[in-house]
Amino acid sequence: MAARTTVPFGPQHPVLPEPIQLKITYEDEKVVEVVPAIGYGHRGIEKACELNEYTKNIYLCERICGICSYIHSVSVVEVTEKLWPVELPPRVKYLRTIWAEMSRTHSHLLWLGLLADAFGFESMFLQFWRIRERVLDLLEMTTGQRVIQSVNVVGGVRRDISPEQKKTCIETLNTVRKESEALIKVLTKDYTVKSRTIGKGVLTKEQALQLGCAGPTLRGSGVREDARLTKYDAYGELNYEPVVEEAGDSYARALVRARELFQAIDLQLEALAKLPEGEIAVRVRGNPPANEDVMRTEAPRGELFYYAKGNGTRNLERLKVRTPTFANIPSLLVMLPGCELADVPVIVLSIDPCISCTER
Amino acid sequence: MMENLKAITKDELLNEGEKLLTGGAKFITAVCRDLGEQLEVTYFFSLKGGTEMYPLRYTVNKEEEVPSFSQITLATVLIENEMKEMFGLKVKDLALDFGGHLLLAQDSPVTPLLKTTGKTASKGGD
Amino acid sequence: MPWMLPTILKNFFGGPATRLYPAEVREPFEHARGQVSFNEDKCTLCGTCVRRCPAEALSQDKEKNELVFYPARCIICEVCADICPRKAIDLIYKWRLPFYTKPVEVYKPRGKESGKAEKEAAATREPALNN
Ligand code: SF4
Ligand code: SF4
Repeated sequence: MAARTTVPFGPQHPVLPEPIQLKITYEDEKVVEVVPAIGYGHRGIEKACELNEYTKNIYLCERICGICSYIHSVSVVEVTEKLWPVELPPRVKYLRTIWAEMSRTHSHLLWLGLLADAFGFESMFLQFWRIRERVLDLLEMTTGQRVIQSVNVVGGVRRDISPEQKKTCIETLNTVRKESEALIKVLTKDYTVKSRTIGKGVLTKEQALQLGCAGPTLRGSGVREDARLTKYDAYGELNYEPVVEEAGDSYARALVRARELFQAIDLQLEALAKLPEGEIAVRVRGNPPANEDVMRTEAPRGELFYYAKGNGTRNLERLKVRTPTFANIPSLLVMLPGCELADVPVIVLSIDPCISCTER
Repeated sequence: MMENLKAITKDELLNEGEKLLTGGAKFITAVCRDLGEQLEVTYFFSLKGGTEMYPLRYTVNKEEEVPSFSQITLATVLIENEMKEMFGLKVKDLALDFGGHLLLAQDSPVTPLLKTTGKTASKGGD
Repeated sequence: MPWMLPTILKNFFGGPATRLYPAEVREPFEHARGQVSFNEDKCTLCGTCVRRCPAEALSQDKEKNELVFYPARCIICEVCADICPRKAIDLIYKWRLPFYTKPVEVYKPRGKESGKAEKEAAATREPALNN
């Protein structure tokens, strides 16, 4: 009988940019039990959204997460629009799709960098973040801000993509693709990367469904599920098919994100080519009626779920946000037991945890 | 409008939910809402690659105890703990009980998401 | 390692990826949002921006004829600039420098005195978006 030790992993840990604590019990070097403890970053945003006017919620919900901020603003705007419901002009749908895929591109580049950092490949980390800078520049050029875009309003968007900007976007995206291809080759073929990720943190298809995982964690285990299949925004008109990998380990999840990175670039190029002419906003009159609805969108980390209920006043009766990491934390309880102490950081990172988003 | 919404009682929850799960559904989340005297709880499940959604909804009085779905799947354990501390929903037999300190701390407000707690927004920090 | 080699060689012979920042500044993008600037001559203290600002970074005092701006609360969302009926607010591409004490800026709007121009502007103004 080996001795058991309980070691707290976090709230401050080099691989975690945000505070989450995992109380991990080890038997020698093997993990036997994990208890997550969250609550270090709770800000009460759901309550604040009930006390705010619905127009102001957009700017608050964007700040739930710093990386997927754009998709949060799309979700809160579209769930509010569904209460009327508002019919959107086609150009708005395409613009929202383009920006959402742009934010997916930069989020996946960020994650691939963090993964390289987690097993100590720091030069690759910097190379990925260098490419990411180009995407952030595109976002700044088209929306006015690098990280928090503040470009959606109920009924439309506030900025347009001009023909010159479209040309720059296409050029930059092609450069981004060329540069990432060279790096992804390292990620998929390098011996170091493979030995640190293959077979680590295996999640079977049944477990992933049972635990209600979302996004690349779910698709890395061979489940074909993606909120973009519900054809919100312009996804119904684009050539889109979810990326699925069967293995279910950390390497499969990395591959899903790497392939989604190129898919996101393809979707942007396709949407830019198809971008229809027309209005970029419609006027919405009155307050949200007393209906209820849900909006499911695909954030870079997985499915984002918004529930809203209006009550005929300027304030919403209830706004509920379920972020992808909230759904993915239970999977850690299954993946970690049995693994080695040194693999814990890579496995924790492989679900792409975003803690401040989880706690809202 | 939400399609497929099904009204159930709190005792049917475990049976109905399990039926959906064995049919290949995936739990998304649960939403609690304050109706004044009662609480309304909705469990959302998704099916067919996320393209279809099945919500199950029950309404209980605030003092009533409700069963925990975390007996069947661990996926609901975080959200049930959250509803317990945010709304005071009395969930019994949780698979992993955080004792009201999942998101809130020792000196936080109690059941902050009820309509009766904290009616005014405070000014932002300047 | 062999797969990383092209990148290493490229970095070795290529120029630096960064700029010598304070000395060399990138051309700002058109319409990028930097900080809020007020035009006291145009503002009539109508209060629209005060009501609509999501961060409550603005407040008004009708009696003293003052518009007060708290830059530390401002989230640079451009809502005020979009909805101002007199176009008295603009967002300029110039970052605010870091500060030790939170500044409070007081503006004395003078737009009311030119009453005629105000009516003309109100008649021709574009409808604001739904923000
Ligand atoms: S800045 Fe514009 S919106 Fe604000 S009070 Fe002056 S005129 Fe009104
Ligand atoms: S930019 Fe936004 S936050 Fe700043 S003063 Fe204007 S409305 Fe308020």
